[in-house]
Amino acid sequence: MYNKVIQIGNLTKDPDLRYTPQGTPVANFRIAVTTKHKSGDGYKDETLFIDVVVFGKQAENCSQYLAKGKKALVEGRLQERKWESDGQQRSKMEIVAESVRFMGGGKGNGSTGAQHSEETVPEESTELEPF
Amino acid sequence: MYNKVILIGNLTKDPELRYTPQGTPVCTLRLASTTKYKSGDSMKDDTLFINVIVWGKQGETVAQHLAKGRSILVEGRLQERRWESDGQQKSKFEVVSNVVRFLGRKDEGGQHESSGDSDFAPPEETTDLEPF
Repeated sequence: MYNKVIQIGNLTKDPDLRYTPQGTPVANFRIAVTTKHKSGDGYKDETLFIDVVVFGKQAENCSQYLAKGKKALVEGRLQERKWESDGQQRSKMEIVAESVRFMGGGKGNGSTGAQHSEETVPEESTELEPF
Repeated sequence: MYNKVILIGNLTKDPELRYTPQGTPVCTLRLASTTKYKSGDSMKDDTLFINVIVWGKQGETVAQHLAKGRSILVEGRLQERRWESDGQQKSKFEVVSNVVRFLGRKDEGGQHESSGDSDFAPPEETTDLEPF
């Protein structure tokens, strides 16, 4: 079958980088995706908040270059994670990203631009190397 | 920004068709989509269960032609619906679909071929919904 999600959104907080016991890097972040939709006769803004998980080298790149307010294009599959907490069944929908593309703009732009003196970040988009 | 979801899966139950107070049709589908993904060195199966909402005329068409077990492709946007139940915040992710494509029947086989041409035989591969 087929399961594909593509979202462009702004990070609502800095990425969180951790490592599995096997040493695989895992980055978690959350994006806010605002889109316009027809509602009756008019148009309405709707914002989706969704968590994104990235594995491997790409996770390290995300944690290095993305920050709260930055814009990213995320492509991957939709997954529902289930677990039990205090005897209650809980679940969470998230995107397991295959590819994350950094996009220019966003609120975090000014500060990082000043920090990276050795290498200027291109304005439009920076592509992650595949791994 | 951009919000797009494309899923292929099977219906786990019959479509539910309802109407808003304004008379707009809304069809709810329950979809199961099983995909393989890499986990360490091996491949793993993951099944996603998700509701798909189809509005308008297409919702009626979908309710009319689809049933439990049928395989479909849906395209749309992801949405989180929130509500309160017994003082608890609940939320549910669903796909608001603008494209539904009917794929082959899960139970297709001898049955249909032997039934002759008394009924309109659906094409084997895909049936496109008319745009509206």
